[in-house]
Amino acid sequence: MKNLCLTICLGVLAAYTSNAQSYNPLWIPDTLSGTTFNLTIRDTFAQLVRGNQTITGGINGKFWGPTLFFNKGDEVHLNVLNKLNEATTIHWHGFHLPAVMDGGPHQVIPPGTLWQPYWKVTNNAATYWYHPHLHEETMAHITKGIGGLIIVRDAEEAALPLPRTYGVDDIPLVLTDRDFNTQNQFVEVPYGDSMMVNGTLRPQTSVPAQVVRFRVLNGAIERSYNIGFSDNRPFSVIGSDGGLLNAPVPLTRYLLHAGERIEILVNFGGQAGQSVDLKAYNSTLAQNVPGGDLFPNGPFANYLARKDFNMLHINVAAQTAKPITAIPTVLKTNVLLNAANANATRKLSMTDTMGVTNPPVLGVAFVINHKLFDINYIEYKVPLGNTEIWEINSTSNFGHPFHIHDVEFNILSVNGAAPPAAQAGWKDVVFVPARQTVRFIAKFEDYADVLHPFMYHCHIALHEDEGMMGQFVVSGASATGEPGKHPDFSISPNPAQDKIFVKMDDPDTEIYYLKITDAVGRVKLMLPQPQLSGGVDISKFSPGTYFVQITERATKKVLTQKFVKQ
Amino acid sequence: MKKTLLFICLLALSIGKTVTQSNNHLAASEAIFSGTNEVGGVANDRNRAVRSVGFQEKEISDFTLRNVDGRMVSTANFPNAKGFAVVFTCNHCPFAKLYTERFNDLHKKYAPLGVPLLAINSMDSLVYEEESFGLMQTRAREAGFQFPYLYDAAQTVGKAFGAEHTPHAFLIWKTAGKWLVKYSGSIDDNGEAPQNAKPFVANAIDDLLAGRAVREPETESFGCRIFYRK
Repeated sequence: MKNLCLTICLGVLAAYTSNAQSYNPLWIPDTLSGTTFNLTIRDTFAQLVRGNQTITGGINGKFWGPTLFFNKGDEVHLNVLNKLNEATTIHWHGFHLPAVMDGGPHQVIPPGTLWQPYWKVTNNAATYWYHPHLHEETMAHITKGIGGLIIVRDAEEAALPLPRTYGVDDIPLVLTDRDFNTQNQFVEVPYGDSMMVNGTLRPQTSVPAQVVRFRVLNGAIERSYNIGFSDNRPFSVIGSDGGLLNAPVPLTRYLLHAGERIEILVNFGGQAGQSVDLKAYNSTLAQNVPGGDLFPNGPFANYLARKDFNMLHINVAAQTAKPITAIPTVLKTNVLLNAANANATRKLSMTDTMGVTNPPVLGVAFVINHKLFDINYIEYKVPLGNTEIWEINSTSNFGHPFHIHDVEFNILSVNGAAPPAAQAGWKDVVFVPARQTVRFIAKFEDYADVLHPFMYHCHIALHEDEGMMGQFVVSGASATGEPGKHPDFSISPNPAQDKIFVKMDDPDTEIYYLKITDAVGRVKLMLPQPQLSGGVDISKFSPGTYFVQITERATKKVLTQKFVKQ
Repeated sequence: MKKTLLFICLLALSIGKTVTQSNNHLAASEAIFSGTNEVGGVANDRNRAVRSVGFQEKEISDFTLRNVDGRMVSTANFPNAKGFAVVFTCNHCPFAKLYTERFNDLHKKYAPLGVPLLAINSMDSLVYEEESFGLMQTRAREAGFQFPYLYDAAQTVGKAFGAEHTPHAFLIWKTAGKWLVKYSGSIDDNGEAPQNAKPFVANAIDDLLAGRAVREPETESFGCRIFYRK
């Protein structure tokens, strides 16, 4: 084994020193902008390694999808057509939007179906992304390559002297790794042997000799990347997941976890003709950090484990016509949430199970609040307008990147200490180190809806698929589906066992269609012009949450209520 | 399966707590990217030879399906056939579409030798609009299929073979009055560059026509997954 590694290392080194053509040009994803975006998800294939093509999933292309440009304040409309042979979902990671538009495990898009969410962009200028989120299939669908970046622009960011020519001095870097089998096909494993940036193996790119911005996403299944440059040059972190920082933070290393993004500035001024490598300095990672865990064999064994390895070879070329030549000293004034204004503190636990009884777990799985994910179970009802502290106490022997939907948050503390400066802004992923406590604060504004939950989960796709996920709804007087607030119709009894009775508040309402769907949107029953006096038979339904959708004849308005089948 | 992964993970965690931390950064000339086979020699032994264990020459009963010309085609109505190259394909799959010419070539070469090619569409045509019989007819006409393209509307033939993807090839051979599966897997090992590919199906047919055992009876099939109705 050692000999094999040595051979490979020597082979790579020889290729590196003797022949720069062993690099592949870094692929820069195409862009889409405007307010209407057409995304078609397909089963396809790509030439990723020599020999046979690899079966992949692409959005409007062969692997990975286009970068979408949103403007803050615009109402964006997404036309997502699922041409896969199977159902999937597309989640808009980091966006504040109605839960029904979120693309989580509840917004299943069956094959052949067009899904059209829309919302008003209220997020700050930053780098976000979209990816599949179908429960128990997230790892499989992300492995295929389904996903893409979203860049939000706003007036505040536009006024700053920052590089923003996409692909020239503003370069997206999607970090991930994959395993190829002997037939060049992807293997669904948490750690791949082969590093990829933007779907490119062994990439190189040219940058102009000036200040260059990199938007870096960790799009891996599990691995964290401790990023830095081969000459240990400093880089300036200007943005975290959900927006610009107050000021650039100079660093030489940043440990980026699954789902997390940073924007960095690097000054290549006066370095035309030189080269440098962007690397993952993962040899320093501990056993309890994703990518630092060493296994001699088995599905977690991987070539890159606890190694330093190259991610991107960078060649500095000529300056552009209007270069940014200095890194700004000040970016913006973030008004962060104040812990003194919190209405509630929620305490969550992260554990390595044992003692999960509902349902009982054979073996071991990582869990939140001592239970596996149940799509019919809502853990928290967050009152609309609440400012909340979420305190995550981990007794897990492994670190987990925690992600919450709906909101961007501010980290209050990691094991009692204030967050590092590069994380002292807006975030939607926070790494909870093994056996430590993380506290963050978030405000839950708009979009109250007690029918449709948001998720919180570990962003390691394997852990999430395994059930390391929970749900919350935002409730309030104006909430969608709140009983008594939209007095269109009511369901009784609720919970129900054999029959439900639907009563329209206005008895003259003519019902054109009644449809019952389950928690993930599967249609269980369709009743055209139903006769409801005898009730609706639900005795054959399995226990869970169901939605009754009634279409009014006159207006074609759809009214929704939910009930629980016992 | 996934449970097992986690289980192993935690086991390993519990035994692997002592970790030497190092702050040494490797020299700038260090250029390890990965261990891909493209770099030369893969270190991922765990993916090798998973499928070649215990290939079963299972029996397939005669089947009858509707061809795109409207006529029923049955394996029982080819008295001179020594075997069939049965390829599962479909209308929409980009990877399967790469093989149109190779299907024609296989049929042209081996049908006169008693091994015709039968293409079967077992995709769920209730779910996928593009896999309807009408569009199969269009596809066969436009792509110039020189072989039967059969509609497995009930998905029973696909299930009997265990077809997993489009394309997925099988070679069945008449053995003591029965059809036995002698090969299962890919057509070859390069979708876009047939000139560089190892022709698995053609090799298997050549082996049997020469009276030899098939040297490589099973390879991996991949492409668009066939989902079966419950």
